[in-house]
Amino acid sequence: MANAIETQTLCREFPGGIVAVDGIDLSVAEGEMFGFLGPNGAGKSTTIRMLTTLLRPTSGHARVGGFDVTEHPDEVRRAIGVALQEAGMDRLATGRELLVLQARLQGLRGAEPKERADEMLTLVGLTEAADRRVATYSGGMKRRLDLASALIHGPRILVLDEPTGGLDPASREAVWDRVRRLNREEGITVFLTTQYLEEADALAGRLAIIDHGKIVAEGTPGDLKRSIGTDVVTVEIPETHIEEGRSALEGLEGLEEMRVDSHGLTLFVADGSGTIAHVVRRLDAAGVAAGSVALSRPTLDEVFLRATGSRLEGAGAPASGVPEAGA
Amino acid sequence: MSSVADPRAGAGFSGAVRDAVYLGAREIRTSLRTPAFLLPNLLMPVFFFFFMTGSLGGFAAQSGLANFSAFALPMSVLFAVTGGSAGLNMVADIESGYFDKLLLTPANRFSILVGAMSADLCRIMTQGLVISLVAVATGTVFATGLVGLLAMLGIASLWGLGYSAIGFSLALKTGNPQVVASMWAFQVPFVFLTTAFAPKEALSGWLQTAATYNPMTYVLAGLRSLSLEGGSTFDIVRSLGVATLFCTITVSVALLAMRGRVR
Repeated sequence: MANAIETQTLCREFPGGIVAVDGIDLSVAEGEMFGFLGPNGAGKSTTIRMLTTLLRPTSGHARVGGFDVTEHPDEVRRAIGVALQEAGMDRLATGRELLVLQARLQGLRGAEPKERADEMLTLVGLTEAADRRVATYSGGMKRRLDLASALIHGPRILVLDEPTGGLDPASREAVWDRVRRLNREEGITVFLTTQYLEEADALAGRLAIIDHGKIVAEGTPGDLKRSIGTDVVTVEIPETHIEEGRSALEGLEGLEEMRVDSHGLTLFVADGSGTIAHVVRRLDAAGVAAGSVALSRPTLDEVFLRATGSRLEGAGAPASGVPEAGA
Repeated sequence: MSSVADPRAGAGFSGAVRDAVYLGAREIRTSLRTPAFLLPNLLMPVFFFFFMTGSLGGFAAQSGLANFSAFALPMSVLFAVTGGSAGLNMVADIESGYFDKLLLTPANRFSILVGAMSADLCRIMTQGLVISLVAVATGTVFATGLVGLLAMLGIASLWGLGYSAIGFSLALKTGNPQVVASMWAFQVPFVFLTTAFAPKEALSGWLQTAATYNPMTYVLAGLRSLSLEGGSTFDIVRSLGVATLFCTITVSVALLAMRGRVR
């Protein structure tokens, strides 16, 4: 299967010697739904801006839809539909006007822009609000309009940069439901970032984690979780006692790795059920009151923690049901 | 979903012109939907005109200048065409992310700027036309008639377009609304360090020097040659030349700023 997106040692350096993206290699197959994760400032948005021709790479290559982003940017722009993190909107236009203009700039002619706009408004459920100004739309409506605008010209590749950020669970589910259908029914390649790891786990067939400008983990969610190969013991400790807790648990039998964050400690251990009692005893002996001690199999959150050394900010589970697994 | 886009979208001169027309129409629509910005730009020059004629008309008549309103009109028109902060819509688009949305289409990059500037030229010409019509309606006699009036509007609009290009350059270079909104500060020296209120010979030392180096002085002289009896053809031609040169320079800078932003 051909690759919809491919990068080779892609780099972007900003003035002052700041290397935002440091030689990444990625390949996303046609029809795949690919998750791209990373902490804030890891290089996610810079990568997306390079892939969508908004930013030139300093070095390396990127091909999107079969075209080099530097040499054939217009061909890339025709092949992709993009919804960026901040849904950039003309607040004084109506939803319909915004879509018609976007269609015209994409090269649709005659009656087609209006027909496509109507089609997209129906697709994202905004027909009734079509003639209202965008300024009156809710956050969820803006996201859906942005998605419609990204799809107006029938792109083969959809790039979504945190398209559900800040949305309520119902709106988030509505957006993902449409994206999932586009991927399954239309075969559109989806390259997405999200701050919700459970969503990435359920939606993405494969994902990559970027940190400090480098890809630090890549694979299917299942492979990545299996790669940890250990149980995870999560210990909630008040922030003021974390250091004491860490000292108490150092040298624990079977401990492979211990990570500290503001909520407490995460222990990667060979035998979770055998270790948990020792954890409680050691903390008791050290006089550290743990809020809770929990044993779990690795989740993407732990994969992320192990790969980057920090938890993804706001990576909690969506309050509503997580969408079913994607392609 | 198969692609429905024209693979030649944005390509070639005709594609670029078409994109500029779509984007210009969008700019005009945006301006019409923000009357709070539009109306002051229309009303201020009218106020300026009546203030000038009301406060200085009497003195001027005593000094032998009977048709003072025709003397004041070119200045009011220049005040009108340099009024308003050009580039504000563009900087708002940059700030909101909509500018990126436009860049994600295959539309010609320069069409985005040309469309916005064309729409601004419409605003400039409307502002110039409104004050001219008000002046004529209230009894101002324009020495060279309708053709001269249209020539004045043409030269003034060219100057106004050059002035607005500074706003677009600032918008593209800084992406900062405060900087673009501060454009009015440029207007003050341009307008007042000229022969707006008195002939150059009557200005005091430093003001006379400033007026000599202010290109607007020469544009104003040409416009007055159109509005008053006994005007000089040389002044009119020089006025057109200065406005064209100014416009060429500032529009080129704006195009370079666009290139810098999308690089």
